[in-house]
Amino acid sequence: MSVKIDTRPIWVLLGLKALRPLFFITLAASFVYIIGMPTPEGLTPEGQKAIAVFVVCLVLWVTNVIPLAITSILAIVLVPFLGVLSTRETYSLFGNEAVFFILGAFILAGAVMGSGLSTRVALYMLSRFGSSPKKLVMVIFLLSASLSFFMSEHAVAAMLFPIVLEISKSLGIRPGRSNYGRLLFLSLAWGCIIGGVATFLGGARVPLAVGILNEMTGRTIGFLDYAVAVFPLVVILLLLGFFILTRSFPLDIKGVEGAAEALGKRLRALGKIGYTEYAVGAVMVATVLAWMFLGRRLGLSSIALTSVVFLFVLKLVRWKDIEEYVNWGIILMYGGAIILGSSLHKSGAAEWMVNGVVGSWATSPWSVLLVFSLLALFLTEGMSNAAVIAVLLPASIAIADKLALDPVLVTYAIAVPAGLAFMFPMSTPANALAASSNYISMREMARAGIVVNVLAWVLFNLVAAFWWPLIGMGY
Amino acid sequence: MGKYLDKPASLKIDLMLRGIRIEDPVVQAWACGSSGVDILLPRDTLVNIPCREVFTRNSPYTIRRSGEDYFITDGRGEVPVKLVPKPAFCGGSTSTGVPFRDIAASHGSYTVVTPSKRCDFFRRSIECKYCAGNFNVADGPDRVYTVDEVLETVAAVLKEKTSGIIYLSIGFSPGDDGGIEFLKPYIAAVKKNFNCLVAVEALPPKENRWIDETYALGADSVLYNLEIFDKELFEIICPGRAALIGRKRYMEALGYAAKIFPNGTVASHLIVGLEPPGSTCMGIDFLTDMGVVPVLPIYRPSSEKDLRIEPLTTEIILPVYKHLYRAVKKKKVNLNWVRDLSMVTTPAEIRDLVDDSKGGLMDSFYKSRLGLKTAWGLSSLRRKLRVVDRDPDGEH
Repeated sequence: MSVKIDTRPIWVLLGLKALRPLFFITLAASFVYIIGMPTPEGLTPEGQKAIAVFVVCLVLWVTNVIPLAITSILAIVLVPFLGVLSTRETYSLFGNEAVFFILGAFILAGAVMGSGLSTRVALYMLSRFGSSPKKLVMVIFLLSASLSFFMSEHAVAAMLFPIVLEISKSLGIRPGRSNYGRLLFLSLAWGCIIGGVATFLGGARVPLAVGILNEMTGRTIGFLDYAVAVFPLVVILLLLGFFILTRSFPLDIKGVEGAAEALGKRLRALGKIGYTEYAVGAVMVATVLAWMFLGRRLGLSSIALTSVVFLFVLKLVRWKDIEEYVNWGIILMYGGAIILGSSLHKSGAAEWMVNGVVGSWATSPWSVLLVFSLLALFLTEGMSNAAVIAVLLPASIAIADKLALDPVLVTYAIAVPAGLAFMFPMSTPANALAASSNYISMREMARAGIVVNVLAWVLFNLVAAFWWPLIGMGY
Repeated sequence: MGKYLDKPASLKIDLMLRGIRIEDPVVQAWACGSSGVDILLPRDTLVNIPCREVFTRNSPYTIRRSGEDYFITDGRGEVPVKLVPKPAFCGGSTSTGVPFRDIAASHGSYTVVTPSKRCDFFRRSIECKYCAGNFNVADGPDRVYTVDEVLETVAAVLKEKTSGIIYLSIGFSPGDDGGIEFLKPYIAAVKKNFNCLVAVEALPPKENRWIDETYALGADSVLYNLEIFDKELFEIICPGRAALIGRKRYMEALGYAAKIFPNGTVASHLIVGLEPPGSTCMGIDFLTDMGVVPVLPIYRPSSEKDLRIEPLTTEIILPVYKHLYRAVKKKKVNLNWVRDLSMVTTPAEIRDLVDDSKGGLMDSFYKSRLGLKTAWGLSSLRRKLRVVDRDPDGEH
């Protein structure tokens, strides 16, 4: 049980409670109004209904009044109910490859964490290379990033958080009073965020974006293609991120002997590496290689699920243990987002919205990329990155179609910046964990984060302009 | 008329300080050998009067019986009183055979339920010097009553409709939580099964989050008993509390709890008779400044443990109680929660010693069954509004 007591005056709390039903009544009234108003020129009645569902989901996703997954379920129910898509078509969209890829990735990450392999790797790297204050921060930063290449950045942050907390305590640094404390926890958060955009595995947002892209255009993005396209961005962000971190928070301790002792103690407590860890490691390496080289031919989700089967055949995991790691809410959320995206596209609503709302300024391919990447980067600070993709991607694909721009490019322009939220605790669980340590305040996080946010946006567009043409992705 | 007989509040204080002699064989049989007897003074003032301790032998007070009526007399005058019958539940026992009186004890409007008599201070020989041994299990079984046993007891208590408030009490246990982890299933079960108010009498936890949790679990009131305000005396008389919790932490925890719990529901005992009255008055000011209700029990010396400061007379301590009433009124601390207690004189009872106000309609309302139900409803609503789950459903 983790609770907080709201000590604001009772009349304020009563007022806020009354707002909730008022909010839903207003939302329902807006929904009915949009459906009931005369259909605008150029928009089909189905498109009008799809927009009504989109508006309701947009408001619910942004405000987070109900869980994201429940908003998705609402979309799944409303789309066939209003006749935007048939019931059969709606539910078949839930069988999208992206949904099953995410499921497979959750199970694989669960196996890696459950076997203790990820903790062992983390502790080994930290105790082996973290011999000075600067090196220790660098190892945490790079370790968070590199682990996020292979598993969800959220899982990496949650796994490393207690270790970093123990390091801070063993060094005797006090929350809120030490630059080194700020450095340690921001290194963890930023490492996870930057590493999380490097591959499909850092978070479920890229598979979701690819799923929407696939449903709307029939196109897809390969595992290796994606990693190559964002590689320079990740490398430069890692270098600049570390530079900004150490400049923003200069080192204020001289040695890390206490941390080495604590890490050594933890490592010794793990004992020697066993069969399960070796075998899970081997399955994971084989899976990543298959994603890289056989992904296009076999399909990413099929590879992921094959590996999952292997894990069970080799008795490396038990279903009961794996259930803890599978976030069914995220899977529901993504299924619903794909259905909503498809309904907007197939009903012609996405194209109509783009023409009416963003058609005037989105006059060239580069302006589309600039604006949508900025929108994604801005919105992800305040709302779920998956919701950002669900909201922006259908419209951006429609505008790409209008400008004869490759829809794959706009998918990158939204999927990548949607993962780069450096400023606020509510932006991503990695930030939330760092802030929860009390070693860094929200203001300090936002001050340092805004610099990296601006840099990330500029860098992304530079990579799009200069790197992508070199690998055959120019616009 | 005797010196204090005309004012029930001052009479209550004098009776608690000096005790009473019971000579009438009928009253002796009714008292049944207990150390204190519950008697209802005029204006429904309930008091538990010491009657077995040595110091009571010199008391001027006795109970006189005249037919069906009873009077307390000090030799110069008398007032009519009523004998409060022993609660019926005292004769019952749980389905496992534990007598209800082993688990619960009624003290007027509230009943103290003690799920465990364990207090680690005794094990470490740093117990509070005045402790009557309620929690001392050194020479008895270290019995922890189950949730079901406690629920059966509470059901029997509430069936009688005399106590509407259940005090869950616990001694010192090692750990950061102040015993809340242990009390958690009991609080939750009582709240789930009965519409009654629950108070928790525990030791301050090391971290404030446990206070949040105590409130969130369903406790309507909390007591962290400082007992002695004077720093040196606190360290001498309460060595365990001083060493393992610390006076400063008591203050912090009480101050924090007063911000979390409703006005007037956070209380702390300051025992009258273990420190100079001036020091108690300073404690009263300090606690009321934080919004905490000081509760002033009077120390009852026994032949083995006489820590009482002397001289200690009603003339000396009456101003302390008057100061308590004035401080509570000045700081606008709600008086409706801590009331009608037989073991202590509450600020509400002092009212007629200080001013002529009778307490008004609200005062009578909160004494009634309907008032108690209303208090329970408002307390539950307040909790629903204030408690925020830190693990929201939203994902990112």
